[in-house]
Parts: sequence; structure tokens; C-alpha cells
Amino acid sequence: MIFDRKLKVLAACLPTFVLLLPHSEAQAPRPPEGPRPVVTVGSQGPTPVHTAYTKAQIDAGGTLFLQNCAFCHGKEAGGGESGPDLTRSKLVASDKDGEAISPVIRNGRAEKGMPKFNLPDGDVTSLVAFIHTQQDKAMSQTGNRKGVDEADLQTGDAAAGKRYFEGEGGCTKCHTSTSLKGVASRFSGLQLEMRMLYPRDAVKKVSVKTASGQTFNGPLVYQDEFTIGMKNDAGIYQSWPVRAITFQVDNPVEEHVTAMSKYTDDAIHNMFAYIQTLK
Amino acid sequence: MSWTRAAQFLTVLAGSVAFAGFSGAQNVTNEILKHPPRDSWPGFHGDYSGRRHSALTEVTPENVANLTVAWAFQTQQNGSVKSTPILVDGILYFTMPDNVWAVDARSGHQIWHYTAPPNKAFHIGQRGVSILKDKLYYMSSDAHLLAMNAKDGKILWDVVVADSDKGQWATMSPLIVGNHVLVGASGDFDNLQGFLRSIDPDTGATQWTWLSTPPIGTPNSATGGDIWMTGTYDPDLNLVYFGTGNPTPTLNGKVRPGDNANTCSIVAINPDTGKLVWAFQPSPHDTHDWDAAEVPVLADATFKGAPRKLLMQASRNGYFFVLDRTNGKNLVTNNFGPVNWTTGIAPDGRPIPNPAKEPAPDGRLIAPDEGGLTNFRSPSFDPKTGLFIVSASPSYSLYFSKPADGAYGWAGADYSLWGKGVLEAIDYNTGKIRWSHELGTRAGSGVMTTDSGLTFTGDGEGNFLALDTATGVTLWHAGSGGQIGSTPMTYELDGHQVVLLSGGSVIYTWVLPSTSTSSMKPSK
Repeated sequence: MIFDRKLKVLAACLPTFVLLLPHSEAQAPRPPEGPRPVVTVGSQGPTPVHTAYTKAQIDAGGTLFLQNCAFCHGKEAGGGESGPDLTRSKLVASDKDGEAISPVIRNGRAEKGMPKFNLPDGDVTSLVAFIHTQQDKAMSQTGNRKGVDEADLQTGDAAAGKRYFEGEGGCTKCHTSTSLKGVASRFSGLQLEMRMLYPRDAVKKVSVKTASGQTFNGPLVYQDEFTIGMKNDAGIYQSWPVRAITFQVDNPVEEHVTAMSKYTDDAIHNMFAYIQTLK
Repeated sequence: MSWTRAAQFLTVLAGSVAFAGFSGAQNVTNEILKHPPRDSWPGFHGDYSGRRHSALTEVTPENVANLTVAWAFQTQQNGSVKSTPILVDGILYFTMPDNVWAVDARSGHQIWHYTAPPNKAFHIGQRGVSILKDKLYYMSSDAHLLAMNAKDGKILWDVVVADSDKGQWATMSPLIVGNHVLVGASGDFDNLQGFLRSIDPDTGATQWTWLSTPPIGTPNSATGGDIWMTGTYDPDLNLVYFGTGNPTPTLNGKVRPGDNANTCSIVAINPDTGKLVWAFQPSPHDTHDWDAAEVPVLADATFKGAPRKLLMQASRNGYFFVLDRTNGKNLVTNNFGPVNWTTGIAPDGRPIPNPAKEPAPDGRLIAPDEGGLTNFRSPSFDPKTGLFIVSASPSYSLYFSKPADGAYGWAGADYSLWGKGVLEAIDYNTGKIRWSHELGTRAGSGVMTTDSGLTFTGDGEGNFLALDTATGVTLWHAGSGGQIGSTPMTYELDGHQVVLLSGGSVIYTWVLPSTSTSSMKPSK
């Protein structure tokens, strides 16, 4: 029971950890305006501190990883078909003994297409052992490293990016340099570029009008062809059959999808150079 | 009548019963595979055409909303069912990685369950067993072909098809043609040769092997071209059709200049000789992992006023192709969603890849993403409306590759930015979309159509859907409680139509209430 609860709390904290933890030590989330650390995960640097694992655990984890994880995350955990490079994961770097990694394995990440894995505790620990070992290996290697480094993304021209942002890109329909101030302090590298192109965790809002004329406004929680679910003012989940209501979904990031059909790669790189200045 | 004579008579009788509807005796002949009876689904696609179109008409647009669950079978496994069950003699056989089940189609109870010994290979899916005579053929995750006795699941022989220690793994439901069990394997995380192998159904001996790509280490040349999806077969032309996978190294195209022949291709092969008759390449010089493994669907239909033997594919790279399947000549090429990686279409119907859209150190924005505008989930062709219906995923992604990523295996990285699910109904004459049905998030279900005008599929949230084939309007739905990873199938059982769908790791069968055994009174 207590363990379950702990897991839930950790799961709830997870997004915060991922987004805000600027270096390798697990600790309370820092305020976003805090200074950027010199060492970022994804470059060679001091390897993260975590529990020591036995060779047997690491080997067993390797087999399980190959069977269940490697297709998406790659055989060496450095990225594969559709899954991210775990050796550059800040969540992995922040994890001491599976407290951050295990909930992701058990719950999946539905919004990113990762399924949940119902594995025994021992198997999860073995996977954690293997993933840590792979990250340690990747971070202690010398020479150029596989995968996307922040330095690889510095090919744009910030001034041209600013012109695009304010002109052809149409970004100022929703954003200003002021409204985005600090974004480059909170995020960096590939994570910042991906958020610039499509902020996938942006909350959609829905406005529902029932047959009796009542209206409800709140964040959209669930939508399919048949059901609309939202959080009402009291924070309670509420849903309706689509056919019984009229509704309007406000998706603030729809414009980002439209924009993807128009971008040139140069425009993306220039705009990224500009966005990186918004600290 | 003497005893011998009576025995002879009984043997003849048993034989004729088996041929008529194979009640009781398992003897799946080549004739049955060519012309499956209404009360069977003896191969991955049902028949050899890959159309996933059923002649059954008991369930109609008018009564489909009444469908009721006959039974559900809980596999109690991780992941989702990706296999299409086969049905023979009232018994369903289906799989998940390391598992094969035989289940009574009437009650849903398990007859036997085979579990494979532990093996170290990717366990990403298993698409089903195949049958010939009384033997089932199962590809293990570590790329062995196992022959099993259909009556009890006992292993008769086990042959190694590919070396899983080198990085190959298998998901395929074998294609059985004549006395050939045709199998392949996946392996694009390493630089390995793709292949199709023909295996003797009785002994497990290799009859021939066709290799997609030159030997490993050939300078300036690609490896890969893996064959991992069940192909289709035209008995009149005696050709099997398979889609081949991407070249390797996967995202680094610099070390393998040129088209990389027979990778990301549709190949026509003579099943008796293993010789390539023709090939058409949907993605020349692919650098985005867009296997052309999607089902090559066969139909005899009128094209520009003349009857033609057609082959159609909605390919992972975003283009829909119609070919003349006698010679591989292209008739139609049209994209069925956003694509941004070409400079145009060549006179031979092949898209021309834009070199500026190859993965680069600072990233390239690519549509569709690596999962593709569609993938292994089966499409369906409805002959009445001329619609080719496919579950599509419009999507965008970033592709990276730099010298440090090397020239082995994946050799780069890619990240999906956005995607969604849409069912697209494509007019085969033009490649133009006649209707679209939004599916929410990216959906994993394949598509099946029936002669009564119904289209069965699933959405990204796990809802089973039945649509009007002519218009795409929803007529029925039910939440499955899991990610749908398989393609619907249908068959007749005891004179009535059954629709089989899987959601998550559970298989559901659906019938009309009037035909459901649950509405029958127990006998006294």
C-alpha cells in the first residue's frame, strides 16, 4: 500500500523532474529561472551517481531490454525505431535506484506511444541496472558521441530566425519574445527544438453546451468520436456522449501542425537559433 | 459388405466430408488455401489476394449496430495481439510472441497452449501461424521455423531460419504456396542481408533462398531489404509478391549510393524456382526506414476501360501505388497524406528522393515520420466501390545522422514530433481520396471490408468501429479496453457470420443476437 502510494507520488512528480532537473542529482525541482548548469546530460561529463548493480542484474536486464525495449530504444539504449536515446535521458540521470525509471516502465507514456510493461519487481530492477550501465558507458566514452548533441543544432542564424518569427513564420499571432522569455533557460538542445516545433504537452480546452443549455469550460482530458471528457471547475472529471451536446475544442498548438507543412529546414534552424536567445 | 470394403467406403466418405467442409479431419489442401470455404480463414490474409474482403453478408449496415459479444479470450500476456487467427475445422489458432493457442471457435475455450523456450531476440510482435494439411508453421521471435501438430501443438521439427545472435528476429506468419513454406526475418539494427526462404513443409529442408541485397561488405552497396510480412500469391501467374524492408545502414545513405535495388521494393518471385521475375521500388535510396513491407493487394479490375491484373500498395513512405502485376509496370502513384521528401515522381512511377531531405547532423523535418503514413496493419480493397481503405498516420518528425553515428545498423536518430490517425478511402483508378474518417491518435488496427458494404477497423483509443464502406460513416462501435494491434477477420460458424477483433491482449468474437448461443436455451 505504502509502496503503491510512493510510486504514485513519484509518477505525479515525474514530468516536473524531466523538464526541470538541470543536472544529475535528484533533488527538489529548481525554479526555472535558476542558472543553467555547465554539464548537461548528453555530453561526456561526470557520470551520474546511482546504486551499484551486480553483473547478474545487468546481464539479466540486457536480455529483458533486448526482448522488450530495444526495438524502440535501440540495442545499446541509444535510440532505435521511434524511442528516444536513454543514454541522454535526464530522467535516467536523475534516478538513483529505479525510483524514476520504474514508474515509466510500469505505466508507459501513452502520449508518446510507449506501452506499459507489467513485469515482476526483479525484472524491473534488472532493466534499471542495464539502463544505468548503458548511460554510464555512453557518458564515459571518449571522442565524438553518437546521437544528437546540443552543439549539432547550432547551424542557424538568430537574426534571420527573429525575422522569420516576426514575419513569414506568423509566430507573433500567438507569441511575443516577452511571452516566451525564459523558455531557453528551462529547456535546451533537442528538447527545446522539439518543443519549438510542437509543444506536445500543451493543454487543449473544451467548451461544452448541454441540451438543457448548461455550459462547461475546462481542460480537455479525453476525446474520441463518441465521448468528450474534461475537468470541470472543481477539478472533477466529467464526460458526455458527443451526440448529446455541442462542443468546441480550442487546441492552442494546432497552428504548429499547420506550420510544419510550410517550414524549410533553414527556417527551423534559424528560428531555433533565435529561440535559444530567449533566456 | 466385407470388413475391408466397409473400411474403404468409410475412408472415401471421410475424405469427401473433409473436402466438403473439413469437419473433424484436418487436411488443409492447397485447393482450400486457394479458395477458402466460408467457414474457414486458413491463412494470414484469409485468401491469397491480401484484400481482406469477405463474401459474407449476414452482418449488414442495417443490423451491425446489434452485434453482441459471443465470447472473449484473455491471453493474459503483456502487449497486444498482433496476429490474425486462422480458422480451420471450427478451431482458431493464434499467437503472441513465444505463445501459440488453439481455441474452440464456438466457446472460446482453450484446447492447447504452446509456450516457446526462453530466447534472446526482439519480442515486438507475432503475426500468426499458417497451416498445410495437419501441420501448423510458427516463426519464433529468434527466427526459427517450427512445425507443430495442429491437434496438440507438439513440435515436429524446428529449423533455424536466421541467426538471432547476429541481430535477426521474426514476426511473420509464413506464406504457404504449393509445397513451399515461405519465410523471412527482420534485422535492420545490423547490416545483414534480407532474404526470402522456401522451406519443405514435410522435412524443414531449405528449397531455395532469394537474397534481397549483395553480400555484407560489398563496397558502396546496401545490405538490408528484409522480408518480414506475409506476401500474396497469384496462382494463375504462379507469382508470389512480397514487400522488402529498408536498406542498411538505415539512416546513413552516404555509404550506399544509388537506388539500393530490391530494398523498399515490391518483388514478384516464382515460388518454385525462387527467381525474381520483376521488382518495383516505392522508395529508391531510402534513408527514413520506410520498409515497403505493406501488403501487396491483388485484384482483377477494370483500369481505364480494360480488365487488368492489378497490384496495389499503400506504402509506408506516404504513396499509394497501382501496378500491373504481370510485369510490375506502374499505373498510379499518388500520396495519401502529407509527404515532403521528394522532388517529384519519375516517369516510371517511382518517387524521386530529395537529397536535401536525407538525415543530417542538424536535423531535417520529414513527413511522414518513421512509423510511416501507414505500416504493417492490413488495408482492405472493396471491389464493389473500388475503394482501397487504409489506416493512415499523417505525421512529422526530425531525422538526424552525423559521422559519429557511423555506418552500421541504425546510424542516426529520429524523433516523431506529431501524428494522428485517419482512415483513408482511396479510389484505385486515380489514387485520389474519396472519403476520410478521423481516428484520433495514430491507430494500430488494420481494415476488413465485407460484401454487405461494411468496413471494420479500430481507432487510436481502442474503439472497434464498423463503417459504411460507401461513405465512411460510423454505424457501430465498442470500446475494446486496449490498444488494437491486429486486423479484423470474419468467418461463418454453424451457418452464421462471426466477426473477430482483438483489443490489447484480448480476442473478442461478435455475432448478431439472434444467432448467439447465449440466446439459445440449454438442451434438456
